[in-house]
Amino acid sequence: MLFKLAWRNLWRQKRRTLLTALALSLALFLSLFMRSMQEGSYENNIDNSARFSTGLLQLQNPEFSESQSIEDLLPGTTDFITPVTAPPLSPHITHHLPRIESFALASASERAKGVMVFGVEPERENSYSGIADKLIAGEFIDADDKQVLVGEGLARFLSIKLGDELVLYGQGYRGQTAAGLYKVKGIIHFPLAAMDNQLVYMPIKLAQTLYSTGEQVTSWVLHTDSLDMVAEVKSELVQAFGSKVNVRDWQQLSPEMAQQIAMDKAGGVFMMYLLYGVVGFGLFATILMMTLERQREFGVMLATGLLRRKLLGLIAIESGFIALIGVLIGLIITLPVVTYFHYHPIQLTGETAQLMLEMGWEPIIPMMLSFSLVFDQVKIVLGLMFICLLYPLWRAYRIDLVSALKGDSYG
Amino acid sequence: MSIEISQLSKTYNQESDFPVHAVKSLDLTIEQGEFVAVMGPSGSGKTTLLNMIGGIDTPTSGSVLIDSENICELDDKALIAFRRDHVGFIFQDYSLLPVLTALENVEFVMQLQGLSEKVCRARASELLTMVGLGEQMHKVPSKLSGGQQQRVAVARALAPRPRFVMADEPTANLDAKSTSELLDIMQSLNEKEGTTFIFSTHDQRVIKRAKRVIVFEDGKLTEDKQQ
Repeated sequence: MLFKLAWRNLWRQKRRTLLTALALSLALFLSLFMRSMQEGSYENNIDNSARFSTGLLQLQNPEFSESQSIEDLLPGTTDFITPVTAPPLSPHITHHLPRIESFALASASERAKGVMVFGVEPERENSYSGIADKLIAGEFIDADDKQVLVGEGLARFLSIKLGDELVLYGQGYRGQTAAGLYKVKGIIHFPLAAMDNQLVYMPIKLAQTLYSTGEQVTSWVLHTDSLDMVAEVKSELVQAFGSKVNVRDWQQLSPEMAQQIAMDKAGGVFMMYLLYGVVGFGLFATILMMTLERQREFGVMLATGLLRRKLLGLIAIESGFIALIGVLIGLIITLPVVTYFHYHPIQLTGETAQLMLEMGWEPIIPMMLSFSLVFDQVKIVLGLMFICLLYPLWRAYRIDLVSALKGDSYG
Repeated sequence: MSIEISQLSKTYNQESDFPVHAVKSLDLTIEQGEFVAVMGPSGSGKTTLLNMIGGIDTPTSGSVLIDSENICELDDKALIAFRRDHVGFIFQDYSLLPVLTALENVEFVMQLQGLSEKVCRARASELLTMVGLGEQMHKVPSKLSGGQQQRVAVARALAPRPRFVMADEPTANLDAKSTSELLDIMQSLNEKEGTTFIFSTHDQRVIKRAKRVIVFEDGKLTEDKQQ
């Protein structure tokens, strides 16, 4: 009966109920749209950035993150990586790439420069990051090549071109000297100057020979099927490998990016709460009005035997219905819009698009379609309703029966 | 069932410089099956007395014994249960829930007692038929006349099979015909079922029909006569 009563009470003031519910719907629409756009672009940026450099997860020697030294390695064998390639993790890990990452001094003709050497499995690396698309001259390397790819800025600095030779000199495994002479097979253009001016790509076997690491690698780069899976996969990797391997996620690998996203997200969340705060006042006013204007009615109900807690329940159910209507209308409006933009992302144009294209990223702002985002918004609306309910419930709880029956509405 | 009122007093604004003594040291006994009118000018304490007997208000001092149980000592929860199970209320302005039909209004108070839907439906239909609203029971209060709404209120008051019915100026908003019909119903229920009725009123038509009239003035009982 309480539900029936609550439902019918809502429609005593149809316009007020609908306006309040619509205000909630609008807030939910704007918040969910904004958050979906934010999370969609974060996901896109993280994915792009991960593919371009760090991966979403890396397996490293426990000392490597501090030392960045070629001394701190992991096995590069198939046996070692079995936990990644076997169930239950394998369905969630889409890529696993062995890498050698170390420093060297590159010199050609009369100039020299410190460079970052990336030893990669060319085919797998290309299928992951599409690096071959960044070639502006020459050819992409293959697994057995003895040649290298260099960044355009580095080539310019060293005054080298295709077919020229480059000397790499550095420290190899266990204090050995790492030195080698390599021909330039291709020149790659990276939009980020820092990379363009210092990157050298070579097949991993060649890098292992250069640094005398044998079958060892500095890291295994992993990519999961979704960003949401990173935490879970990380925890399972930690369990599988134990303390002999340091499992690092993209936040640890790219702390600046994680910080930037966290700050941006905080701004978005602040705006969202501001929006809900404004709408919350409307909801609060409606619930309070619904309570105060019916003191006499509540008095009669209490006089005829309704328990106070049930009276509070009635008010809560009425408010819950308003929130539910607001959420339903909001979701009916929002979900198709977000779903559309999820599958048909907003296309960027102009200089921003050009910059993203140069970075090898699609110039789009995708929308994230996520149950947890929707659930978060619903939780916020319900939380808001709960907060708005506190004072009206308190007022209803301390109704003085005699005053209420006299019709002292605001007593 | 009897109501024994002993040295009952109610003072409002006790702490202030101008306390209002609504009821002063009242002694009164009302027996099962009485049809009692409490009359007196406005502000004489009639409603306060009814509120205290019905467990809506608590006295400043004294006691109200219902079958030897002092309801003045009950806590809020117990008082609600007492009202729900033993008292029927009829208000001057009918006070029906506007969103429920006549039938649902009567069912509502029985549902508060935890009776099954079937039992509630059967008794509510029976009562509404008895008060002459068999054809109107599915209408909401706004579709009923004042007299019809007050008859629904009577049915609602009787639905939980109360020990007594308190009616605060039940005919104040009714025309002569509706007043007469309502009194017929109340009198008939009093005679047939032995339900005790206690009502406050200014209405001479009601006073003439009462079996006992208690006159109140300035919070004191000034006259108590059987008719």
